[in-house]
Amino acid sequence: MSQPTDPPGTPPDSAIERELTHDEFDPIGTAVLITLYFLILVGMWLFTYFVEFLGNGPTVVGVIG
Amino acid sequence: MTSYIDQFPEEARLVKAAMVSAFLALAVGATFGLLQVLHRTGMVRVLSSADYYTALTAHGVLLALTFTIFFLVALFTWGITTSLDRNLPSMRFAWGWYGTMVVGALMAVVAIFAGFLTEPPTLLGEELSASVLFTFYAPLQAHPLFYLGLAIFVIGTWIAGYDWFRTYWAWKRDNPDERTPLPAFMALTTMLFWWLSSAGVAIAIVVFLLPWSLGIVDSVNPLLTRTLFWFFGHAVVYFWLMPAYMLWYILLPKLSGGKLFSDPLARVVFVLFLLLSTPTGIHHQYMDPGIAEGFKFIVMVNTMFLLLPSLLTAFTVVASMEHGARQRGGTGKLRWLGKLPWRDPVFTGMALSGLLFAAAGFSGMINAGMNINYLVHNTFWIVGHFHLTVGTAVALTFMAGSYWFIPQVTGKPLWNRTAGLVQVLLWFLGMVFMSNAMHRAGLLGVPRRTAEPQYENFAFEGAIGSVGELDAQVVLGGTLLAISTIIFLVTIVMTMLGDRGEVPDNSYAGTLSGPEHSPAILDNLKLWTAIALVLIVLAYSLPLAAIVQRGGLFGPGIDGITRVLPPIDTIGGLVEWVVGR
Repeated sequence: MSQPTDPPGTPPDSAIERELTHDEFDPIGTAVLITLYFLILVGMWLFTYFVEFLGNGPTVVGVIG
Repeated sequence: MTSYIDQFPEEARLVKAAMVSAFLALAVGATFGLLQVLHRTGMVRVLSSADYYTALTAHGVLLALTFTIFFLVALFTWGITTSLDRNLPSMRFAWGWYGTMVVGALMAVVAIFAGFLTEPPTLLGEELSASVLFTFYAPLQAHPLFYLGLAIFVIGTWIAGYDWFRTYWAWKRDNPDERTPLPAFMALTTMLFWWLSSAGVAIAIVVFLLPWSLGIVDSVNPLLTRTLFWFFGHAVVYFWLMPAYMLWYILLPKLSGGKLFSDPLARVVFVLFLLLSTPTGIHHQYMDPGIAEGFKFIVMVNTMFLLLPSLLTAFTVVASMEHGARQRGGTGKLRWLGKLPWRDPVFTGMALSGLLFAAAGFSGMINAGMNINYLVHNTFWIVGHFHLTVGTAVALTFMAGSYWFIPQVTGKPLWNRTAGLVQVLLWFLGMVFMSNAMHRAGLLGVPRRTAEPQYENFAFEGAIGSVGELDAQVVLGGTLLAISTIIFLVTIVMTMLGDRGEVPDNSYAGTLSGPEHSPAILDNLKLWTAIALVLIVLAYSLPLAAIVQRGGLFGPGIDGITRVLPPIDTIGGLVEWVVGR
């Protein structure tokens, strides 16, 4: 956490413990978060399918003559 | 410590003025938001149901156009001057475009507000009124002052864009071998697609709607003006969103204590938006008869491609935040999240708005699909969707950003950090309640854009919960949002009234992978603009031709332009006479 006395928007330089270069940084946490998001999306799609398509009658497309 | 006002005192005054204009629009627009929520749910009715539509127009125009665009011209002016380390060529010219925007906005707002009067004043032989909603679809007709005001406002933004471009050209002459700095690149690509797309609405207004409201032509082709509106109408959402993306890319990594993960990826994202923002507008018209399904399908494909830059953004921005958290000792797969500066309202506001934008990604995918769009079209779902996008991803990012920018342009520290933090949290919470309930109500078929969504002898039935429960959530959310807006405005006013003191440096995030890793072709703005034009021609030429062929330029036949024909006849006769001699 940045210090409460810092003005908001100040980069918390004082709190930086180590410098991570491009090659040292492995964004595994980002991969985990994005996988979670993807799973939520898939779940929502399945939910939509059950609620909207199986829950309602067939939709008539075209001219009924 | 060097703040923006120390580096660019003249520009800081302009940026401050534009931001204050945005906040004034926010104050008035948000008040109408609360009134609408209370009215629709039948809790408290201050307005008559007829006046509801005037309030809805004011809410839409003031928040979606005035608040957002005044803020973003301020932001882009900051981005251009800071990243190029260069003044605008002429402050008189810059105040000129700002003044043009103010005049245009005031004209439109006066026309809208006159609609609340029982006996509106008459101007140009017509009663002042403009209760035509944000989309001003014909045959709803507004007073000419409204259309003229909107056109002048848009022209003001065009001139602002020219001002940024000429600053960039001057910088390029002095630095021919340097890569365009990222914030300037973002502002310029955004401006390019804004010029392309807003040409559509300018034509709709100047060629069709304004002459029609002045009585010069008798009718318009409603499908044509609608299509021209949406030519601009989807790109405008990216005109609001790109400044928010800019803040996520260049401020969030710095606030997290890290660096931007990839400058080249950020450039790719902005190029993709330049290419795809405009040839997607017809996805707002999936339910419009008169546009063939095939054209709609092309637009759906373009729209699905647009998911790509937003997913790239999600990756790059989150990875940059993670970089900061790990530099500050964060470990584990998710524990690093705790190392982020959650007590900083600037950071928290932007991070939470990004989170809700991820939720909006889901409802956006539903809207974008041609078949499933039929389930939600013109329902309250859509309102829920855009309150997550423009109402949170954009608005909350701008508000959180203001806690950084107002100290920059005034040299005065933020009045109260806790108030700022409470404000962004309340906005997040209020929007979760309101937007979620709106989405669910939309699935029940509750319509949008109506003062009286309940009908006699018909009840909306939900699988879970009831309409009463949804209404309660909408009111709760709307009230929290109104409280949040008040806290925001108080914080800004108190900051501006405060004394000068210590403020953060005017700087933005460094990069892990910098511009030296991005192919030079990414900076070739002429090439990307040319491709964008080709895509627009492919997506729009045939649908527009079909619409005009079927419905005429001014409505079926040429009856609509009877008043234009006699002068054209006279000119034709003269030409014939001259040629004949």
